[in-house]
Amino acid sequence: MPEPILALEAVTLIAPEGRAVFRDLDWTLERGARFHTRGGAGGGCTALLRLCAGIAEPSGGRVVLDGTPLEPGTPHPFLQRGLLGWVPSDGGLAVNLSLLQNVVLPLRFAQNLGRAEAERTAMGWLEQAGLEDRAGQRPAVPGDRESWVASLARAAAKGSRLWLVDRPAGGLDAASIQAAERILGQAALDPDVTIVLVGGAWMSSLGQELTIGNGRVFSGVEP
Amino acid sequence: MPVRLACRLGGKVRRAFGQLGSVSWLLGQCVQGLFRLSREQRRVVREGARNQIRFTALDALPLCVLTALLLGGITLLQVFSQLSAFGAERHISQILAQLVIRELGPLMVGILVISRSGTAMATEMASRKLSGELDSLYANGVDPVPYLLVPRLLGGIISIFALVIVFDTVALLGGFLVAWLRLPVSFSFFLSALGEAIGQRELTATFFKCLVFGAAIPLVCTGFGLRVKRSTTEIPQAVTKASVVSLAVLLMAGAILSVLIYA
Repeated sequence: MPEPILALEAVTLIAPEGRAVFRDLDWTLERGARFHTRGGAGGGCTALLRLCAGIAEPSGGRVVLDGTPLEPGTPHPFLQRGLLGWVPSDGGLAVNLSLLQNVVLPLRFAQNLGRAEAERTAMGWLEQAGLEDRAGQRPAVPGDRESWVASLARAAAKGSRLWLVDRPAGGLDAASIQAAERILGQAALDPDVTIVLVGGAWMSSLGQELTIGNGRVFSGVEP
Repeated sequence: MPVRLACRLGGKVRRAFGQLGSVSWLLGQCVQGLFRLSREQRRVVREGARNQIRFTALDALPLCVLTALLLGGITLLQVFSQLSAFGAERHISQILAQLVIRELGPLMVGILVISRSGTAMATEMASRKLSGELDSLYANGVDPVPYLLVPRLLGGIISIFALVIVFDTVALLGGFLVAWLRLPVSFSFFLSALGEAIGQRELTATFFKCLVFGAAIPLVCTGFGLRVKRSTTEIPQAVTKASVVSLAVLLMAGAILSVLIYA
């Protein structure tokens, strides 16, 4: 049986206000799994994604990504190769770079593509995202929704093996949903690509439903 | 009472060493990051450093030239009035050169860089941290140390070198202009006196001061910017601390280097 792409082993996460978001949580994510999550605000969806990406540090237990534990302050080979597609709710783009430069940066830095090739690849994905006219603009100009879609394009351009996608801050309009479906649909063509989509009821065809709440994570509806 | 005072003093000393430790750690990370860069990463870092130099050195040139010109002229006026009381006006260019090159040049440039670029670096890092941009860079395979800190470190060192050369030259020229208005000195006499005044020690001191100031300012300022945790109200506090501490580091490092080289 192939090793899971991600495993949370007895993970405890305490929120800054002292509340336990997860306590001794065990959860594994198999390669090629596709989930869209249920769970209201404060249920721990974003916290779970942050744990999986190595951004939130667990108070106890450990997170094993692609067979190697995530350790604070230590570079992780999976992340260094740019194989994680991290799409936070605001897109997480650098505000001083254009949308194109934001997509190009990890291609050059993590995957050592030359500038011209990285720009070609990035532009191709921005076209898929319907943002080719705004490629030269900084994220503040098109707005949160477009930044989030551009962040999806960034994850796709890198050839991410694990996608952790949070719900967009400002909600989605029809055009953004179409663009997101197009990009995620293309990523999902590869059976080894794993996707966790928070609040992705608009893309329920993607895969199974994952419920996050009361400090637990399970597939399907809460028993 | 004495115990409480000792505890408070001890706490401050411990905090100061803690800050020194975190700056040293950042420096270590930058040096490590610099040597691990791949070819394309080096290109990205070079582009970042070029932007940093443009902002820190090129954009600061008008202010630097104005400050140098005024400071050179004013210093000469003050020194001239003292020297003329002893009939030693002919030593004016040597004294001006030593004062500007040994102390004023690096110090004034350091202060200019802290006030323009150091505060900007602290604000930028704090904002990026609070907005989650640093987390996003890390998660997407872009290590923030080589991508953000190394260009600022390299840019800081190169910019301070460049600005000190411009500052010293303009300040000496400003001094000459004032001297020329008040004394029968020729430019060739002024230049030859400068040549006598500037020796190996002056160049060594300038080199080390530029290196230390150029590294310390970005490291201290980005370090304080990265310490913010949750609220945007922490940003102005971080910027104030960054500028105060980097100024203190500048003064102390300048004094230590001067004592080591000239004493």
